[in-house]
Amino acid sequence: MTGPSDDKETPQTAIVVDHVSKKFRIPLEKKYTVYQHLFGIFKGGYYSYNEFLALDDISFTVNHGESFGIIGPNGSGKSTLLKLIAGILYPDKGYTRAYGRIAPFIELGVGFHPELTARENIFLYGSILGLKKNQIREKYDEILSFSELKKFENMKIKNFSSGMTARLAFATAIQTDPDILLIDEMLAVGDEEFNYKVVEKINEMKEREVTIVFVSHALRLVQQYCSRTLLLSKGKIIQIGDTSQVIEKYLQITREHQ
Amino acid sequence: MWIFEYRDLIQVLTISNLKIKYQSSVLGFAWSLINPLFMMIILYIVFSGIFKISEKQFALYILIGIVTWRFFTSATNLGMISIVSQPGLVKKIFFPREILVFSSVLSCLISSLLEFAVLFCILIILQVSISSSILLFPIIILIFFGIAYAFSLGLSSLFVYYRDLNQIWDVLLQAGFFLCPIVYPITVIPEKYLDIYMLNPLTVIMEIFRDILLNGIFPPLWDVVYVSLWGLFLLIFGHYLFSRLKIRFAEEV
Ligand SMILES: Nc1ncnc2c1ncn2[C@@H]1O[C@H](COP(=O)(O)OP(=O)(O)OP(=O)(O)O)[C@@H](O)[C@H]1O
Ligand SMILES: [Mg+2]
Repeated sequence: MTGPSDDKETPQTAIVVDHVSKKFRIPLEKKYTVYQHLFGIFKGGYYSYNEFLALDDISFTVNHGESFGIIGPNGSGKSTLLKLIAGILYPDKGYTRAYGRIAPFIELGVGFHPELTARENIFLYGSILGLKKNQIREKYDEILSFSELKKFENMKIKNFSSGMTARLAFATAIQTDPDILLIDEMLAVGDEEFNYKVVEKINEMKEREVTIVFVSHALRLVQQYCSRTLLLSKGKIIQIGDTSQVIEKYLQITREHQ
Repeated sequence: MWIFEYRDLIQVLTISNLKIKYQSSVLGFAWSLINPLFMMIILYIVFSGIFKISEKQFALYILIGIVTWRFFTSATNLGMISIVSQPGLVKKIFFPREILVFSSVLSCLISSLLEFAVLFCILIILQVSISSSILLFPIIILIFFGIAYAFSLGLSSLFVYYRDLNQIWDVLLQAGFFLCPIVYPITVIPEKYLDIYMLNPLTVIMEIFRDILLNGIFPPLWDVVYVSLWGLFLLIFGHYLFSRLKIRFAEEV
């Protein structure tokens, strides 16, 4: 099987997603213990689960410095796709590749340790991204001032409100100089003032030619940021290409549903 | 190799494990060092009566057994939950998942080395003759670390799928406590079972530690080779299991 012509990898390519399919397993009976598992084997029903095809043969590429949108209804597989690009999930078929340091901001989080303080988490995150300690130290103040959480630097993350956690997470992701930024629903919990800062920051990153993959239900923002967009529905690509056309298609299939 | 590439991350996680561990108890750090001594005293009182041995050597014999055993239990217990206890990390960002297990076991090793340091002080105070065989200590502890890490790799990956594994492991550890020569001298094992008894690599490790710390002699070379082979085998097996099962960690935690 060969993909569409824009699937060819070039030196400009930042992200490749090639014929990717992802299935989730939904257990029929909840077998979460050794005891139940052994009991299940005993009854002859060895490992029974339904498979749910969350992504079906997805292929596309994103170039360096491009802002790429992903839209689609709830449960269409957008977050799953970002997790595959970030290497958090493994595909069942196909492969994904990303060139450069990826900072994922997925479902309002970036990977924090609840028992550690904001300060310790910033260092933890930086070291996951492969930054050296002095590099993190340089970014440290920017992160806290951007998120406006300086007062709370020694509080444990588990005591943060969800909005505060998301703020800190977002600030950490963007201030660590990633080459590729994966953003999923970033404006869902921030207050107006913070959202305004985020929008400004994204513009700044676009100018710096950071590659951005942008998942959002805020179509106005997708329109504003992304030159190309992918429309997913039920795990399949419905359309990929010019953002205005893809959004139009999305609105059209939404209307047809009603 | 990820150990070098992610050494900063390993350091951050190991230190945070230690912080969490010592924060949660009131006397924290000091208590964790006194704890094995209390255990030694109680077990010595009970078991020296049973086996009618009342020399100080036996108290030290028990203490070495306890410190060794405590590393194995704490490392495997913490290692086992290291994936499941970090859903926030596992579901949101990529890094080699082995690092969570490795840094848990490493933090237990550091605690254990402090216990060994206390043990060492006691040996000096009691004027046990220390010989040059003590130089083997780092090698043996490294092998022991490998074994505990290998067990933790297997346990942590299985625990993601089977959430009662910790209870099963608890029972196995309780049995293990009596299957290893911790509170009794090996001489109580009947001759005909001795060969089988000595197959247990943890038993051999305890005997090696006693040789180099308490008896001041070099352990039989074969014993060291034997536990190294176990370590190698377990590491290969644990790593294989972990790599098979890690594929779905982010979906299951
Ligand atoms: N760990 C999991 N186990 C089983 N099913 C899952 C898992 N994660 C996601 N799914 C399923 O995969 C599908 C796609 O989920 P995903 O989170 O990618 O949707 P989404 O497009 O991000 O939706 P939303 O707009 O609501 O964020 C959903 O039907 C969801 O139930
Ligand atoms: Mg989503």
